[in-house]
Amino acid sequence: MNAVHTRRRRTLLLCAALAAGLVLLTGLALSTGQVEMPFTDALRALVGLGDAGDVLVVQEFRAPRVISALIAGAGLAVAGSVLQRLFRNPLASPDVIGVTGGASFGAVVLLATGASQALIPLAALGGGVLAAALLGGFAWRSRMAVSRLVLVGLAVQAGLAAAVNLMIVRFPAELATSALQWTTGSLYGRTWTEVRVGGTAIALTVAAVFLLHRQVSVLDLGDDSAGGLGLDPNRARLGLLLLAVVLASLAAGLTGPVAFVALAVPHLVRFLAGPPTPATLALTALTGAVLLLGADHVVLHLLPVHGLPVGAVTATLGAPWLLVLMIRRSGLPQRRES
Amino acid sequence: MLLALGIGVLVLCSALSLALGSRPIPLATVLDALSGSGHGSDADVVTGLRVPRTVIGLVIGAALGAAGAVAQGVTRNPLASPTTLGINAGAGLAVVTAIFALHLTQPLQYVWFAVLGAAAAAVLAYAMARRSGDLDPVRLALGGTVLTAVLTSWTSALMLASRRTLDEARFWLAGSLSGRSLEVLTPVLPLIAVGVVLALLVSPALNALALGDEAAQSLGVPVVRIRLLGGLAVVLLAASAVAVAGPIAFIGLAAPHLVRPLLGNDHRWLVPGCLVAGPILLLAADVLGRLVTRPSEIEVGIVTAFLGAPLLAVLARKVAR
Repeated sequence: MNAVHTRRRRTLLLCAALAAGLVLLTGLALSTGQVEMPFTDALRALVGLGDAGDVLVVQEFRAPRVISALIAGAGLAVAGSVLQRLFRNPLASPDVIGVTGGASFGAVVLLATGASQALIPLAALGGGVLAAALLGGFAWRSRMAVSRLVLVGLAVQAGLAAAVNLMIVRFPAELATSALQWTTGSLYGRTWTEVRVGGTAIALTVAAVFLLHRQVSVLDLGDDSAGGLGLDPNRARLGLLLLAVVLASLAAGLTGPVAFVALAVPHLVRFLAGPPTPATLALTALTGAVLLLGADHVVLHLLPVHGLPVGAVTATLGAPWLLVLMIRRSGLPQRRES
Repeated sequence: MLLALGIGVLVLCSALSLALGSRPIPLATVLDALSGSGHGSDADVVTGLRVPRTVIGLVIGAALGAAGAVAQGVTRNPLASPTTLGINAGAGLAVVTAIFALHLTQPLQYVWFAVLGAAAAAVLAYAMARRSGDLDPVRLALGGTVLTAVLTSWTSALMLASRRTLDEARFWLAGSLSGRSLEVLTPVLPLIAVGVVLALLVSPALNALALGDEAAQSLGVPVVRIRLLGGLAVVLLAASAVAVAGPIAFIGLAAPHLVRPLLGNDHRWLVPGCLVAGPILLLAADVLGRLVTRPSEIEVGIVTAFLGAPLLAVLARKVAR
């Protein structure tokens, strides 16, 4: 009892610390760049006060990018966390099972048709759902065995990646560049349109996940007990799965499939705060947001080369960390079959 | 008997590869051209373009097939292959880096960078999987996946940093047999030969390895040494293949699975069987890529990825019930 209590306090402390970090990072991101301004001015400019030039820079260029990073980071992390708990497998992230790959496929197809880029979140959603449908078609049986799902997901990912690759080879250089940027994960050129469309959808989905999250704990008791408590386990699982797919696709529609956020953040949170509770889900969202915004800061201000995709940074940071995790535990994160 | 049948199919695939393409050429003309008595533009196409392409396809396919069989034996993982272990991604990054930094333009110049990158990635994957002298198969596969993700994102970053690199590298990264002269093959032939010999040498021990490390040890098989030699064979074969043709997915994965139902699980048959099945798959995919969008063509690496994905899905269904 005492241990649970300590852990909860620690989780709340961590949440507070991360929230503070989030505010600081946001301030930093809004105030630094070609036009430098003090923190307070940046915050004032955000609400439309102060120097007109500052307001333009902050509101039109920096804010959409910052908000995209925050929302997509949180969305990816929450989607990863839900999937990993649902399948009780640390590998079952949306990157691994092909959903974010599907989302970038959708986005690249849209680029190929030359339609308005504002439709990208929608196209990504379509692609992600397509990937999930392929996954379901191949992997579905009355119960979802995890290893089959992960492996079939890798296959779906590979097929969609081939389609994207084909387009990148065929595209004119201009289009190939932006397609490549999408598939690596990038925050360049985000506008309010995308933030409004994608952001609202992501926020609503995250809220739905928080509402349904109690069902996961019930599912953890096993199908029989869950049924005894009046929960149809398969329906609950399908509902949560769909939410996670939608969330991951929308997030990828906003920023591209930024690597390792969905996979690594839930691990990090489990390491910091122990077994999942509703509070750790909030911690997960915060961590994802801080991580992606921090990585974007690295891309914008700390690297010598300009125009790098943020996904390259998260991959560089995420991979060694995941490997350390693998080595420190005996064996890899245990593969548990459901 | 089955091996003879396999070779028959292989000859058929080679013939198709010589005869079919953006312009179909009658087999008689092909034969004339091969014997040196044919002349004219058709004969030139056959000797100048399609013969090198077919020969390269045969050699690369054999290398990839054998690499897949040995990789699956060494890791005891039916989903292991040069692609899944990060070897292709390592070669990709090395070549793109070379194009970015050294302004290379010819596949002939890429060769050694590809070999180097593939070998480095394999060593990394091995080092990650190594734990107190033993090799954990599951960790090897996961490490390969992680490694691939990182290397590909670095590759993309480099291509985004320089338009010239993007233009130069994206065709190579698709994986293709076209436009390569036989000169590209020459420098890696010794590597492939050593790789094939090693693969055949370790194949009896792979049968023991399949029983588990302890059982193999008690049978007197030097597990660590077999893994090292097998790994070396995989690196030599996969690196040579990627150096010549670019990253071609799934041939290494698919060949053993095609051969196993026919010849069984005995690696002494499996490895030679894959030397035949690999080129069959690769040539068939290449011919298909030439036919579907005639008169242009789809790079064979993209064709194999399209065909390989459903195969992997079906395999996964079977492997993980």
